[in-house]
Amino acid sequence: MMTEADYYAFFDDYLNNRLEEPVRQNLERRLAADPVLAERLADYQRLTGTLTAYGQRLRLSDKLRAIQAEIDAEEEEVVETGRPEMPVMRISRTEQWLREFWHGHRATMAVAASAAVIAVFATLLGLQLWNTSNQPGSAGYAKLRLEVNQLKNARAKDRRAINQVINQLGVAAPAVQGKFSGTGFALTSDGYLVTSYHVIQGADSVLIEGRDKQRFRAEAVFSDVARDLTILKVNDRHFQGFGRLPYTVKRTQADLGEKVYTLGYPREDQVYNDGSLSARSGFQGDTGFYQISIPVNPGNSGGPVLDDRGNLIGVISGREMDVQSAAFATKSSYLARLVDSLSAAPNPHTYNLPKQNQLAGQTRPQQIRKLQDFVFVVKVFSK
Amino acid sequence: MGKGQPSYTDEELLAGIRRGDDRALAHMYRQYLPTVIHLVTQNSGTEDEAKDIYQEGVMVFYEKIREGTLELSCQIKTYLYAVCRRLWLKRLAEKGRYGGRLDDHEPYLETGAEADLADAEERDRQFALMSEALVRLGEPCRSLLEGFYLLDKSMQQLTAEHGYTNADNAKNQKYKCLVRLKKLFFTQYKEEPLP
Repeated sequence: MMTEADYYAFFDDYLNNRLEEPVRQNLERRLAADPVLAERLADYQRLTGTLTAYGQRLRLSDKLRAIQAEIDAEEEEVVETGRPEMPVMRISRTEQWLREFWHGHRATMAVAASAAVIAVFATLLGLQLWNTSNQPGSAGYAKLRLEVNQLKNARAKDRRAINQVINQLGVAAPAVQGKFSGTGFALTSDGYLVTSYHVIQGADSVLIEGRDKQRFRAEAVFSDVARDLTILKVNDRHFQGFGRLPYTVKRTQADLGEKVYTLGYPREDQVYNDGSLSARSGFQGDTGFYQISIPVNPGNSGGPVLDDRGNLIGVISGREMDVQSAAFATKSSYLARLVDSLSAAPNPHTYNLPKQNQLAGQTRPQQIRKLQDFVFVVKVFSK
Repeated sequence: MGKGQPSYTDEELLAGIRRGDDRALAHMYRQYLPTVIHLVTQNSGTEDEAKDIYQEGVMVFYEKIREGTLELSCQIKTYLYAVCRRLWLKRLAEKGRYGGRLDDHEPYLETGAEADLADAEERDRQFALMSEALVRLGEPCRSLLEGFYLLDKSMQQLTAEHGYTNADNAKNQKYKCLVRLKKLFFTQYKEEPLP
């Protein structure tokens, strides 16, 4: 009777081809006929196979560890001998821990940091947007030059870039030729006019057009950028003078609450608007300007502001965005001072400012009837 | 990388490993180690963890070659990367630190590595059972079988070490031990439900 161990010896010989040929054939016949024996062989093979593979695994693991140890040793060698001049870095246990922590969690920390940064900036931007959309009186200021063509060229963009705080408001009016338009009014009877500096800013040529649709070529002779004033001179051989001006330029400050009105060209036709003098300072406390409660629109810039008695007290310059009826006008006292300084300059022009006021004491429509021929569209062409 | 070592193509490395050439194994090991270290250290692992993972990956690869069942459809580098990537994901999941994705710096392809890893896991389980069975087997059977199968000692050597009168005695003892081991191994093997 063979024990199982005897069978194992037998299998071992069989699998290693140490059996005699007849014995081997006999075994193979028995294996084919006897499933119990066949399974016993299979178990034996599986057992020894697993053992052998396990042995190989252990040896392989040792080999790999040896290779790794060799590599580590080489690397250390490089550190120690390759750069003898390098000081050896010693780090404390805490720092070691911190470094490991950083190493292990840096991805998480990076994500957290980015989230924090994004949250902060989103909040700031959001607040900023909320403020600008909700709070009146913040940095919005619109100059009221009428932009005629919707297509803005590069120079127009430059202009906007210069006035970052001041937002120029553009409105299309396709029937009017030219790039921009504003309003101007006569300063002297011999052909000097006043308009806002920002109207003619960057202009290549300037045309003025009166109520009778007659056009004259004009050119800027002087500009005061800070006060947003420009003096134009008509430079056209068909021009024969404006005639006698009905208003005078007020040299002193006007009073609060004074009834004021303006004529201008926010569209193709002359438009009248009135209101009161609201404050003696302009946008953000600029003392060169009045605040007036006249509804003004793009194209009103450069228009005259007159008081009840027909005195010119200011020149429309701009308005506060998103605030109803908060327009700003350059004080006429600055205009008068500008004219005085130009008259006193070497090579002076003669500025014969109107001396007699023909509007005082008249009703508003009468005043306007006299005034309307001295207010012009200023058309500006630029490349 | 090795100092002044000639570089081998993938085919040469495979042929070398099939022959059991340890230099080819060592060369391959050196060649692709940096990739895996980079992978692991970039994904919240240490260099030592990277080396462990890499050794595991190389074992899977090596054993597939030695079994002759490796179907390599890509470069060795890509295969090893795929295996180690999978292993590291598993390790991260065990550590509870897996954030759902890894920063890959190598093209990550379907390489058949997944299936090979499943095989390797099953093999690991068997080895673990075998190791346990050997412990429970007790002396002197354990040293005899370990000596023969794991440490690759000859029967003559073992005869001398264990004080048997001749090699046939030792051999008979070995078979008896195998029978006992078989019982231990297969009872455990059959007790453990397959995953």
